Amino acid sequence: MAVSWRFWFVLPMVVALGTVVLFPTVYLFWMSTQHWLVTDPERFFIGLDNFARLTGGADFWQSLRVTGAYLVLSTVLMLGLGMGLALTFARAGTGWMRAIVVMPLVIPPVVAGFTWRFLLNGEIGFLGAYLLPMAGLDLNPLAEPRAALVSVVIADVWSRTPFMFLIFLAALQSIPRDFYEAARMDGANPFHEFFFVTLPLLKGALFVAIMFRLVDAINTFELIYVMTRGGPGRATQILSIFGWRTAFQELDFGQAAALGVIMLAITLAGALLVFRRFVRGQVGAA
Amino acid sequence: MKASARLLTAAAMTLALPASASAQTEINIVAFAPGFAWADMFGVSGTEKTDKLRAFEEANDITVNIEFADEETARQKVLLDLVNQTGTYDLVMLGSDGAVQTFSYAGYLEPLDDLLATATDYFDPEAVYPQFLEANRVDGQLWALPYYSFGAGVIYRQDIFDKYGIEAFPATTAELEDVLATIKAGLEEDGMSDVYPLTMRGAPGEEPSLDLAGFVYAYAGYPAWFEGGATTPEEIRQTDARPIFTGDFRPGFEAFVEWSREYGPDGIATHTWVDMMNLYGAGQAVVLMPSAINGFAALGGTENEDVANHTAFAPSPKGPSGEPIQSFWTFSVGVSAFSENKEEAFRTLAFLTGEQAMQGFAETVGWPYSTFPSITNGEVLTAKWPAEMLSQIEASYEQANPHYFPYIPELNAFMERIGTAASEAISGSKTVDEALEELQAWAEERMERAGYYE
Repeated sequence: MAVSWRFWFVLPMVVALGTVVLFPTVYLFWMSTQHWLVTDPERFFIGLDNFARLTGGADFWQSLRVTGAYLVLSTVLMLGLGMGLALTFARAGTGWMRAIVVMPLVIPPVVAGFTWRFLLNGEIGFLGAYLLPMAGLDLNPLAEPRAALVSVVIADVWSRTPFMFLIFLAALQSIPRDFYEAARMDGANPFHEFFFVTLPLLKGALFVAIMFRLVDAINTFELIYVMTRGGPGRATQILSIFGWRTAFQELDFGQAAALGVIMLAITLAGALLVFRRFVRGQVGAA
Repeated sequence: MKASARLLTAAAMTLALPASASAQTEINIVAFAPGFAWADMFGVSGTEKTDKLRAFEEANDITVNIEFADEETARQKVLLDLVNQTGTYDLVMLGSDGAVQTFSYAGYLEPLDDLLATATDYFDPEAVYPQFLEANRVDGQLWALPYYSFGAGVIYRQDIFDKYGIEAFPATTAELEDVLATIKAGLEEDGMSDVYPLTMRGAPGEEPSLDLAGFVYAYAGYPAWFEGGATTPEEIRQTDARPIFTGDFRPGFEAFVEWSREYGPDGIATHTWVDMMNLYGAGQAVVLMPSAINGFAALGGTENEDVANHTAFAPSPKGPSGEPIQSFWTFSVGVSAFSENKEEAFRTLAFLTGEQAMQGFAETVGWPYSTFPSITNGEVLTAKWPAEMLSQIEASYEQANPHYFPYIPELNAFMERIGTAASEAISGSKTVDEALEELQAWAEERMERAGYYE
């Protein structure tokens, strides 16, 4: 059978994707099945031992719990704030005000992390050393385990909420005004408008936002690394920080790869769940 | 000469110039601290080449290329270069607290003993404090040469000691604990809530481990990581020595944690080398230990006159075992086993760590630590620092046991875990016992997996 001429146009993209996506993924899976310790020159196949060792240790479950708490807290706050800002700016607000709201998004996470680290520093930081004690909060935000987790969540929310804001703002502006006028004619108040008109029509955007957030949260690294390095102790050690420690500090590449596979599986499962449950349902319903 | 002949000669010369330049051997280095490390060679920007370096290049037909990065990035570049065996870097930045041990056992470094004789014009091993070479010996062989290095010592605020009637710096850990309690009470009474009696580092990861191991050594009287104080893979295998993190390791670990919690700043569980240095430099800490070098680093940039004018040095206090709290480290540089130009690489290494390089370091940085006695007692440092202090620093090298922690391939991983366990205990997220039990379980598993107890 003759190969269609269209095939040759697609081929470069297939090769490019295969090189930058498929090969590293396959390599990751292969690494996860290897005994690969930098301290041991011998590398050999060990099946699922890395996974068993990983899930058998307290560190993994601790990191999973921290990741879960970080994900839920930051997602709820981001969605709430992003939605609130979008609702506000959909009706009012000038271009430059929107630019200010979006500004944290263009600040690299490393810079954001440093900024928050210095702000929250309990000895010299404006917030940590002066403002919080003046408000009667006698704690060192980055050194007390729970406060440290809340601190990195706040920094992340500050940094990434503008992205949520943009998703919601775009979705809000696509809702025809007629819907609101019709609702008002039926006696709806602003509360009714939000819950019975806006929110149902934002469902698609909401779940797209959740999907992005899920991927983003699980892969967060720079911000936490710069702010706390996963500390104090392991209080802010999410899975990505645990993976970095395993690979580059403990020099266990095999186990780090196994963790990478698990993170990939969690991300894919979460994204698929959101996609199947909501986004595809939305398209089907349309 | 005809015009065409001139043209040909000019063309030949033009072609010959780059050819002769390219005949030079290129030596690539990766390191951290631009503008600080080898500032006399690569300038304050870390991208220049000074006359001193150019003279070396010309004399040896070598081109030296250095790549500076922040410490963590530089370490990862070294790791990936060695693991992938690419040989991109001929000289690699290491450290005597893990990288030298791990990479030498893995076969990633070139042993240097045989090469030492080839570059004595730059680096004379007989002229160095032997402890700094010993710190880079693994399994009897030398794997790296020391650049700036330090031993144990304490730096403290003499004015605050005087204020609270403390006449001399304590000689033992028990006495020091009493003094810290006195200072704490005094500071509280004077309402100085932003000044802390002590600063050390308790960030998660390897940061606290070098110093914490020094506490363990001082309290146990030996490197109490494995039964019987085994410090090499052979000893561990031969004696079937098991980890003892819940045993003799505990008193030193507990003291480190308790002192940090009781006398350290609130944020100590996240404090790194830089944080403790900044805190001391800002006048917010009275005692900095167990390595005074952090304090000397802080003194260089402090704007606090009290810190600049009233800082004093004292030898590291002795623990209950009679051994002083240790802290011994060298910024080591080794030759990659995958370098294609090992001899030239070593010659460059000898130049970069030799007496004239350390003299340059003393002139540009001025810390009272040097790897060469001739520099410690030379014009530059004796003009800057009191003779008594310099002799105390020299004495600390003599008292040092560079192998106060085990020299095993897994050292990096152990340092990482020990530091994180300390950070957890300091922050209160785990008790000392919980942190050590977890450490013990991890250590047993790791040693079993590495095949020590077959």
